[in-house]
Amino acid sequence: MNDFSELESQLGKLRPVQPSADLMTRVERALAEARHSESLHRGETSTATAGVLPRERRFRFNWLSLGLGLAAAAALVLFTWIQLERPAKKMPALSSITPAPQFSSPASTAQFIPAGLTQVVYHTRDEGVHFPSNSEQPMRRVRSHTRETLQWRNPTTGASLRISYPSEEVSLVAVTGQ
Amino acid sequence: MENVATDENWKNCFSQLAPGLLLFARQWARSTADAEDIVQEAFVRFWRKQHDIANRGLLYATVRSIALDFLRRDSRRARRESTAASETEQTVQPMFAIEDESQRALVAALDLLPNEQREVLVMKIWNELTFAEIASALEISQNTAASRYRYALAALKKNLPAV
Repeated sequence: MNDFSELESQLGKLRPVQPSADLMTRVERALAEARHSESLHRGETSTATAGVLPRERRFRFNWLSLGLGLAAAAALVLFTWIQLERPAKKMPALSSITPAPQFSSPASTAQFIPAGLTQVVYHTRDEGVHFPSNSEQPMRRVRSHTRETLQWRNPTTGASLRISYPSEEVSLVAVTGQ
Repeated sequence: MENVATDENWKNCFSQLAPGLLLFARQWARSTADAEDIVQEAFVRFWRKQHDIANRGLLYATVRSIALDFLRRDSRRARRESTAASETEQTVQPMFAIEDESQRALVAALDLLPNEQREVLVMKIWNELTFAEIASALEISQNTAASRYRYALAALKKNLPAV
């Protein structure tokens, strides 16, 4: 089948030029340098194991990274907790914060003492001048919407009780003429 | 992984393969020195990863890749050398140890072959690679490798009527 066999035979008799004598030395040196650079890259030294065994690569725990990570996580949790504790509602106006009335509670709530009263006026509307039947002069009627919050606290346990409710107040203000 | 026999292994492998590898690299390099640089870099790169020559196709692919990079890096120099070589043919270093006139004619006919046919011929005749290995190294099909080989022989035979 192969009519090129004689030609292939002649080609096979052609001898390629031999490499120079120092090529083997150059390759040997290059391989040694490559091995050396690889070992340096891996952080190994030949003297560390007296050239007998490759040094075992041990797992190093990075404590600095762990500490920073935990600190970041703690800060995140703290920040989230503060956000949740903060009242979501924006207070338009704070009319009064009164000191708690000092009175003794009945036996069942004796351990709780009043801690404060907060009254927030969040809407006020002037409804104009009116003439009440029992008054001779005109009166200006002002309607206020408020939210009052009463708070008690148990000094021994630190527990607190809070009651909050909306309220509406209508007040009549005398109109004074100049 | 390295083992204690690695050093001896690479010397045995390299001493067997070096002449053929050098001839293969000479397809892209004008001088023996450049071809030796290519072979050295390719063999070191190959041996660091493989540690044996079971995958010869990969070794020749590495030589070819580095040779092409070498050509691209030194394209200006290669052009200058190519021009000088065409003007004074005797400056081109021989790829074969020529013993008689018939061999000189054969080498001259080899130089006339297209590159893609000559590289297949070099891999097959002087490096004894199979068509599968040639196909792997050149990233072509085995049929294409075999076709290029046959075309190369036919062209040589045509240019050498005495054969």
